[in-house]
Amino acid sequence: MIRYSIVFLLFIVLSCSAPPQNLPDDAGLQLIPATGETVLSAIENANAEVVLVNAWATWCQPCVEEFPDIMAVHQKYKAQGLKLIFVSADFENQSEDALAFLKSQGVDFPTYLKSGKDMAFINTLDPNWSGVLPATWIYDSKGNKRHFWQGKTSRAKFEEKIRDVLTN
Amino acid sequence: MRKFLYCAVAIALAAGIGFSIGPTAEAGKNKALKLGTEAPVADIELKATDGKLHTLASVQGKMGTLIIFSCNSCPWAVKWESRVASIGNEYQDKGFGVIVINSNDPERASEDGFDEMVARAKTLAYEFPYVADSTSRVARAFGASRTPEVFLFNANGKLAYHGAIDDNPSDANAVEAAYLKDALNALISGKAILTTETKALGCGIKYSSDS
Repeated sequence: MIRYSIVFLLFIVLSCSAPPQNLPDDAGLQLIPATGETVLSAIENANAEVVLVNAWATWCQPCVEEFPDIMAVHQKYKAQGLKLIFVSADFENQSEDALAFLKSQGVDFPTYLKSGKDMAFINTLDPNWSGVLPATWIYDSKGNKRHFWQGKTSRAKFEEKIRDVLTN
Repeated sequence: MRKFLYCAVAIALAAGIGFSIGPTAEAGKNKALKLGTEAPVADIELKATDGKLHTLASVQGKMGTLIIFSCNSCPWAVKWESRVASIGNEYQDKGFGVIVINSNDPERASEDGFDEMVARAKTLAYEFPYVADSTSRVARAFGASRTPEVFLFNANGKLAYHGAIDDNPSDANAVEAAYLKDALNALISGKAILTTETKALGCGIKYSSDS
């Protein structure tokens, strides 16, 4: 009886403490504090044909410049199974600015706000990432990383890489 | 037919290359200098805000050389710049050569123009050179990708520490790991540097397409 109670309590604790990693897109715009593990879990459980992960910040001009292109490709390919995961590197006291920017860009699904130390976050998400913003990763439906780059890029490149994963 | 196929392959290759070249795709493309290597392009003359020309060789210090890629425009670099000034001034007095390099193309970031650099160096009371690498040549040679980014060389001119200044850009009083100061102090005391490579978030260097 005690053993079952312990297992039951453990289940409750783990369930309650697990971060809201896999909120559906129709849960609305949110900025959820996230460690690197949280983001990886979201990628793993995305249930999508292609997952585009973009690390950005309101203070990062190239991030802000390429954001509309990311939203445009999402509009074009979401019916084919493209899911976006945005991770803001804004400081916690800038979360209102981040939310305001996301809203202005038409983001209406949950997104993430980096929490914890930079190095742990960077290396957990991708040891190949130097920490430069923006950074973009594209995963396939099995959670395999297929493309990664640092720095701002063009809409054409976003589309090229998304199509590559959709068709291969 | 064969000629057509050759042309098609050539065009496809050219298109593939075209997608990957360009300053916007370059951040992080060059791998950063490895630990144990010497500073490259040590003899390139760089104009400093003190009006003089400096080279990396000319600023070498007896205890080692501290090279920091930074800039005026990146908010992340701005959060650390007071610490860059205080650490740079303090450890220059302790025998380290110190130089801060701005490798942003001022055409892409007007705040990184030379006059703006002069003003910033004065505000921060830099006692070491703050130089313009406006063609981004030095950044490319180092494989530097972001600001700020530290390259600390020991007294033998070998790269001993690479990465972040510390673990807290937003609050100097809440730093838990003072990576750079620890590395500098280790070099002074002759002890091994415990953490030799670190990472932090930051703005990508706005490479010039000129070099």
